[in-house]
Amino acid sequence: MHKSGSASSLGPGGLDLTPTFFRQIQRAAPPSPTKRHTKISVVGAGNVGMAIAQTILTQDVADELVLIDAKADKLRGEMLDLQHAAAFLPRTKIQASVDYALSAGSDLCIVTAGARQIPGESRLNLLQRNVTLFRSIIPPLARYSPEAILLIVSNPVDVLTYVAWKLSGFPSNRVIGSGTNLDSSRFRFLIADHLDVNAQDVQAFIVGEHGDSSVALWSSISVGGVPVLSFLEKQQIAYEKETLENIHKEVIDSAYEVISLKGYTSWAIGYSVANLARSILRDQRKIHPVSVVASGFYGIEGGDVFLSLPAQLGRGGVLGVANVHLTDDEAHQLRDSAKTILEVQNQLGI
Amino acid sequence: MQKSGSSSSLGPGGLDLTQAFFRQIQRAAPPSPTKRHTKISVVGAGNVGMAIAQTILTQDVADELVLIDAKADKLRGEMLDLQHAAAFLPRTKIHASVDYELTFGSDLCIVTAGARQVPGESRLNLLQRNVALFRSIIPPLARYSPETILLIVSNPVDVLTYVAWKLSGFPSNRVIGSGTNLDSSRFRFLIADHLDVNAQDVQAYIVGEHGDSSVALWSSISVGGVPVLSFLEKQQIAYEKVTLENIHKEVIDSAYEVISLKGYTSWAIGYSVANLARSILRDQRKVHPVSVVANGFYGIEGGDVFLSLPAQLGRGGVLGVTNVHLTDEEAHRLRDSAKTILEVQNQLEV
Repeated sequence: MHKSGSASSLGPGGLDLTPTFFRQIQRAAPPSPTKRHTKISVVGAGNVGMAIAQTILTQDVADELVLIDAKADKLRGEMLDLQHAAAFLPRTKIQASVDYALSAGSDLCIVTAGARQIPGESRLNLLQRNVTLFRSIIPPLARYSPEAILLIVSNPVDVLTYVAWKLSGFPSNRVIGSGTNLDSSRFRFLIADHLDVNAQDVQAFIVGEHGDSSVALWSSISVGGVPVLSFLEKQQIAYEKETLENIHKEVIDSAYEVISLKGYTSWAIGYSVANLARSILRDQRKIHPVSVVASGFYGIEGGDVFLSLPAQLGRGGVLGVANVHLTDDEAHQLRDSAKTILEVQNQLGI
Repeated sequence: MQKSGSSSSLGPGGLDLTQAFFRQIQRAAPPSPTKRHTKISVVGAGNVGMAIAQTILTQDVADELVLIDAKADKLRGEMLDLQHAAAFLPRTKIHASVDYELTFGSDLCIVTAGARQVPGESRLNLLQRNVALFRSIIPPLARYSPETILLIVSNPVDVLTYVAWKLSGFPSNRVIGSGTNLDSSRFRFLIADHLDVNAQDVQAYIVGEHGDSSVALWSSISVGGVPVLSFLEKQQIAYEKVTLENIHKEVIDSAYEVISLKGYTSWAIGYSVANLARSILRDQRKVHPVSVVANGFYGIEGGDVFLSLPAQLGRGGVLGVTNVHLTDEEAHRLRDSAKTILEVQNQLEV
């Protein structure tokens, strides 16, 4: 019998329906622990954390959902607001606490906690505030769920995924950053909208830093299996490199645009992270551009660095990185992106 | 070719991939209008409107989703934030405007616009502000979609559904208020949580005003088919009437509790209204406690009044009201609830 802590008039001292409402069948064994019970903890009940939690709930990704935040009142309000929808959803156990003990035994821990990116502020400026915060978040998460997969969303996500990796002591396959999964979705949306085709038929990766130095892999974009750049060449449709750079820049700018219009982003990152959660927990073995330890790929060197590459995800976390062919120019931009991240990272004392 | 207005570098003047990307098959006819294209317009891009829109999107309820609001920047930001998730969702056409013309031909118009309920403010206090607002919302909606179903969410929902009915000139089966659909979900959640049973196995209605004078129909509550009150009697479990009233009061207070903790409610009403939208548009013929014209039921008289009754919903809107048996006391409270609403309504000039 679990109580969500919501009502006091139902139960001992009030109206107690439980005596004999259900009768046991004979010769039953006690309930066996089920291996398929999936538990997700979301740290941070702000706009991003709640959009992720609510999408996970609607898409029926987990059996148990735990919300963690430092603000107890806001947290309780958000928990109740989700619980009240019970009549409209498959049954999911939803709880919330300021205490990390509630996250014990999580299969996946999603960290969204952090300061909100102010309009005009680059993602790197958030860093110092968030590293301090992570020192109070990552060690307890790791202690209570030593086998969990950590999925980092807080910005700047590449550096903070590195920080989470160091602070948790986890193997690198179990520490993942949401990275450019959303940038790539925005990129695919722009191309799909232009061609009036379903975005899921557009294969297009943005990799590298989730930020200004990200790299659009034009050479490997295809739509319905048709490689776009060689299509343009065969059709003798001229294009300028600058045009491609402008399209890429629109993707980078679109996040800042949403922030300047509505104050923050929430829905898209919610869908993006719920999609990653499902890929991981349901062992979908799909390829996602997410932030992984990139040392050794495409000539990246100079220290451990996390940045987005097309990575295959499954129940074990990062299964591997897809061996996508990069042009010399793309590989060069990727190495530059790695250097950008390392410059910042090396200033931290981790 | 539909353009969402998001990119300028993809298209004429920039990179135009559309020439020859897709080739037509021979002897094709122009696309035929499909009768199954469902279009939903949501008026109000605040917390409630966006939770509804996002849940409708996630649950794949409609082919086309239109957002209307007076604040153009916020509106555009919300639209982009939903569009950017295209890679993670079935394809839904999403657009937004301050101009009601975009709602043309909607199958369902959901109205959430209105002032936010301030902590401590009763729903009836919002009324005067919202009636004025409805004079600018309802007539254009009705003009652009004369066959649509109007679903009113703004509070106080019962009076505003009456106002929407008068201002639209629609037949009463096509004007519905979200009513006590959510209160009933909260009620079912409390009972389900106490008994550790799935909330969907709890049949329980709160009817009447969506507000302080709502009526809990204890006499018809059942769990897995077991009528609760007669169960208690047969098991000789004593209970006091005041305990039942306290449980009901907790349901009424739970909305105020969420507002005081997180500032507003959003997720639960989002699921509640998406659930109604699906029942209506997919002709599910399910029974929901929603605000309908209640004259003539259970002795309610004194003028046209909308309040929640268990109503069967389908593609034609309200198909009918189920003939639930009410005890004398429950019927009496329902008539009192009607009077409460009428007293306020009669002060308006609609």
